[in-house]
Amino acid sequence: MDLPVQVWVQAIANGLALGWLYVLMALGLTLILSIMGILQLAHGEVYMIGAYVTYYCCVSFGVNLYASMFISMAIMAGFGFLMERFLFRPVRAEILPPIVISLGLTLILMSSAVVGFGLYERSIPRLAQGSFVFLGSAVPKDRIIAVGFAVGLLLLVYLFLKRSKYGQAMVASAQSREGAILRGISPNMMSSMAMAIGCALAAAGGTLAGSILMLTPSMGTLPLVKGLVIIVLGGMGSLLGAAVGGIFLGLVDGIVPVAFSPGLTSVAPLVVVILILLARPQGLFGHE
Amino acid sequence: MSRKLLINIISIVVLAAIIITLPMALNNVYWTSILVIMGVNVLLVSSLRTIKLLGHISLGHVGFSLIGAYGSALLVMKLGFSFWIAIFLGGLMAAVVALALAYPFLKVKGIYFALLTLLTAETFRLIVRYWPGLTGGFWGLLQIPSPDPITIPLIGTINFANVNNYYYLTAVIVALSLLVLYRLERSHLGFKWIAIQDTEVLAQSVGINVKWHKMLNFAIACFFAGLAGALYAHYQHSLSPDATSRFGVLMSIYLVVYMVVGGESKFAGPIIGTVVLTVISEFGRALGEYQPMMIGGIAIFVMLLMPEGLIGLPKRVKLVYRKLLNQTKRVRRS
Repeated sequence: MDLPVQVWVQAIANGLALGWLYVLMALGLTLILSIMGILQLAHGEVYMIGAYVTYYCCVSFGVNLYASMFISMAIMAGFGFLMERFLFRPVRAEILPPIVISLGLTLILMSSAVVGFGLYERSIPRLAQGSFVFLGSAVPKDRIIAVGFAVGLLLLVYLFLKRSKYGQAMVASAQSREGAILRGISPNMMSSMAMAIGCALAAAGGTLAGSILMLTPSMGTLPLVKGLVIIVLGGMGSLLGAAVGGIFLGLVDGIVPVAFSPGLTSVAPLVVVILILLARPQGLFGHE
Repeated sequence: MSRKLLINIISIVVLAAIIITLPMALNNVYWTSILVIMGVNVLLVSSLRTIKLLGHISLGHVGFSLIGAYGSALLVMKLGFSFWIAIFLGGLMAAVVALALAYPFLKVKGIYFALLTLLTAETFRLIVRYWPGLTGGFWGLLQIPSPDPITIPLIGTINFANVNNYYYLTAVIVALSLLVLYRLERSHLGFKWIAIQDTEVLAQSVGINVKWHKMLNFAIACFFAGLAGALYAHYQHSLSPDATSRFGVLMSIYLVVYMVVGGESKFAGPIIGTVVLTVISEFGRALGEYQPMMIGGIAIFVMLLMPEGLIGLPKRVKLVYRKLLNQTKRVRRS
């Protein structure tokens, strides 16, 4: 490959930033999937609406960008809580109904975004101006801050699940519903919590994406698809798997179009997923 | 028994009469073209239900329909095949790809299967999008020819560039396909599929080759998806790999919603669901951007309040009626 070093550095920086956005998406999806057993296909829309909430807080009401990101996360967490309570809990035990409900929700949220926010593209103000110089090429500061945020959130979720009482209760209810009930844990409450945390993570991801890329009503679809690939790659319910899978996909998205062709980017994930399924049906970092 | 048979025959005749006279009664190109698309969707949703017989939910049916559509169109345009052969070859291509993918895919179950099929459809769409040499890429495939006219003695030459004639062609192909799917479901093969869905281990222990039957089921369903795609391609004369086109995620969503709203437990369910929702969304066209919201709302409403779908409605009404009847009787006695 005879491309200059600068291009490579740029490609890798872009890839890492994208990858960590995908990680935030996959993290929420995998939490919801492992604790509630539900494929939340409307998660991309939660991501999109989270981004718009930040946009309106920040641009229309003039709240500080970071403060509006936390407001958006809180609002989306509340929304997730309501969704779990009124839509998903009644059909928890089955496979098809939750999928259909999340699909219906996708239609509703996407068309309300078109109606409410309009189709034109906007963007949230940048997280930071300027750029660092690394190996002779400029790496924008806002990407580094976005990655920092994503890593921080991943660590927070990790510590929450491993160290806190509620996190442990959540893991327990994912492992065995009956066992958790016997120990006095309410699986319903844990489900609500998983959904709320997942939606907050999606809102954070949407905000970061909205400031690096663009805000459109259909911005959630691609990250959702990426998030689903990551879940299969990394294995269900594995945080490490989600992180590694997300960075891998991000790097593929950043490097392959530059080095080879954009077409290959779209095929590579599926091929990798099929190979992994053939060799290890439970995913790279998953366990039975 | 004979009375039931008579009712069946009469209802089939009435249905056929309605299907035949509908374009003349509507006498409107717009509505006839809606009917053609609806016929294509009926075939897609019914074959989606064939996969559901095994308990699997495919969110990637549009992907196989895309293979059939592009496959058939390219065979006609680049290799000069006749339409009548190409549409079946298009379906066959979809079936072959499905058979190859079924082997790794069927290692997983439930949610994972739904997820993988969703990814597959997206991948197919993107391959087409980034392969401009063959498929026209982003700009889509244009100027797909209509089927060659055929000459039947006594009736004369039929030209399929005419919407009404294409409607009858679609009706015939869809009806025959539905008949095949229906007979398959009632055949030995169909019973094996249902046995596998009920208890896989037991089915295996009585000597059913579970893996092979699952693959076969997926391939057959995808053949009809490909056929539906080919029918669509030669009607529309152009194909696009855009995310908002027929081959995007959104269409997959609509297909599943059609199936479930109709009720996937009976063969007629998906057909009824497709017809009802198509009519509703056509009349809801005035609502503009609010229209998808309405369909989404219907999907959630049906899932939460009547999980059997529209097909379960008569039974429900009967139950409620009986309850009311019993109550009035009780009241009378006291």
